[in-house]
Amino acid sequence: MSRKDGKFQARRIDEKRFELDVRGLTCPYPQLIVTRTLNSLCSDDILEVILDNPPSARDIPPVLEAMGHKISRVSRPDGSTWKIVVQTKNQ
Amino acid sequence: MEASSADIERFVGRYSLGRDGTPLNTMGSLHFLRVKVPGGLITCTNFRQIAELAAKYSKQQAEITDRQDIQLHWIGAEDALDIFSAMAELGFTTDMCGQSFAGARYGDVRNIVSCPVSGIERDEILNSYPLVKALSNFFIGNPEFLDLPRKFKISVSGCGSDCTRARIDDLAFVAVKKGDEVGYTLLVGGSAGVSLPGPRLAKSTGVFVMPEDVFDVAVAAVEIFRDHGNRESKAKARFKWLIEEWGVMKFLKMLQEKVGRSFVRYDGPIFVRQGEHEGVQWQAREGYYYVNVPLTGGRLTSRDMILISELAEKYGSSELRLTPTQSIIIPNVKEKDALLRRLEMKFTFNGPKLRWNSLACSSDFCGKTCSPHAKELLKEIVEYLEKRFDSKVLDEADLRIYVNGCLNNCCASMFAEIGLNSKQVRDGNEIEQTYDLFLGGGFGLEATFGRLIEEKVLSSQLKHKIESLLNSYLKNRLSSESLRSFCNRHTLEELKAYLNTSGG
Repeated sequence: MSRKDGKFQARRIDEKRFELDVRGLTCPYPQLIVTRTLNSLCSDDILEVILDNPPSARDIPPVLEAMGHKISRVSRPDGSTWKIVVQTKNQ
Repeated sequence: MEASSADIERFVGRYSLGRDGTPLNTMGSLHFLRVKVPGGLITCTNFRQIAELAAKYSKQQAEITDRQDIQLHWIGAEDALDIFSAMAELGFTTDMCGQSFAGARYGDVRNIVSCPVSGIERDEILNSYPLVKALSNFFIGNPEFLDLPRKFKISVSGCGSDCTRARIDDLAFVAVKKGDEVGYTLLVGGSAGVSLPGPRLAKSTGVFVMPEDVFDVAVAAVEIFRDHGNRESKAKARFKWLIEEWGVMKFLKMLQEKVGRSFVRYDGPIFVRQGEHEGVQWQAREGYYYVNVPLTGGRLTSRDMILISELAEKYGSSELRLTPTQSIIIPNVKEKDALLRRLEMKFTFNGPKLRWNSLACSSDFCGKTCSPHAKELLKEIVEYLEKRFDSKVLDEADLRIYVNGCLNNCCASMFAEIGLNSKQVRDGNEIEQTYDLFLGGGFGLEATFGRLIEEKVLSSQLKHKIESLLNSYLKNRLSSESLRSFCNRHTLEELKAYLNTSGG
């Protein structure tokens, strides 16, 4: 995803694996972009979300789980960045 | 609404949601929406439309903040784009709420505060509202100013009083007279919060800025902060750190270079009068009044908002002014008695000024307090004091109470005559809600820090201690002495004794 191109799109990094970078965005945008992206993916696709807004890191995993997606991993590669790995629900 | 790229593009930089906090937030709200109302001036139509948003999305409740915003809680992220669309149609934006990020980044210029009665106040020096509007239009959504090291707070007071609480703003313009000329003097580097180098009163720059230069000066000051503020450490990223590091003279030198002119020296008084915006006041226009509706803590329901709008349409000029003391003014009223009769069915007007000028933060939503939360506690104390003291006595004491839920000090508790700052004490598995008690602070003609007199006072004892203090004040005060002066000529031990409720 790039803010510069203005599209907020996920980037394919493998056949069924995508990366979405929402760093620099505050609530509610990370959550809205992630849910929109997941809706556009196929069942069992993997989405890696990179974000740096702490409230979004708090809010997004339970919201996605409530929607039926599977949170595979939440990690914090450095003090200010989170990576949430989501497996898309069966559509 | 499904978030399309175009929607997100349209709203990023102009709208965001803030985080309601953890761990003690029992209100069930994850996000708040802080609607910027530049200078606090809003039409009744728009106020009613925001009331409708409150009715639909935030459990019929709203808050007026001490920066003249309207704050709505319980905003769901999934509703945000619908709300942003509605707000865009109304012409409103929100704070960017970038303080959650870990680094010194994504700060924005917060709602610009103005004297709430700009343009209608009798004996006003300058009408500050057009300047506030112009600056707001310039900064809101301007990509050059959305990644400041931290938030940046500006105020403009034209009435000659400290109704904007200028001393805790990063940049404050205060209208003054220099001979036959009117203009603004400039204060810099104030902040009540705990971030480094700690709470600071804004420093006087001793310059006189012509009204036509103020816009450029404000923009240049924010550019200096953007380009030279500390980005290494979030704790050192507020403007006060830069001012402390540089000193006022270095800042002024760069400011003059940037705006391309030299400032005239100003050594006169910064504030020339006490603010008198409470209750019912005459306006500059003969035969007209403004009526300040006290909310004491700033909360109101969407039905209250609609009622106030309807009354302002009937008795005023279909316009409202939100005050920096969390209340609402109905301006341009001719039939004040008829209006008051209607308002008194819902709001208390026969109380002391304390009811208008005290403040409390939203600590229940921030998750920083357990009951009594800041706004509850403020109301409880004010109502208790009203029962025990004549309003005239409380007004003579010239008393304000500010209640804060945490060290972020949103309501600047150490700058009130009586300041309360939450401190929680763990007792086994229980958390006990206590407050540190500060006395003798204040804004205005001579701003002073309050002193910490007692720590960890149980919230149930506070009103009794304040009653005890006021009884001692009444017994021992000098002629026409305010509570602040009284507190500041007594030692810490003496004040502790005055707070003692055992009659010692």
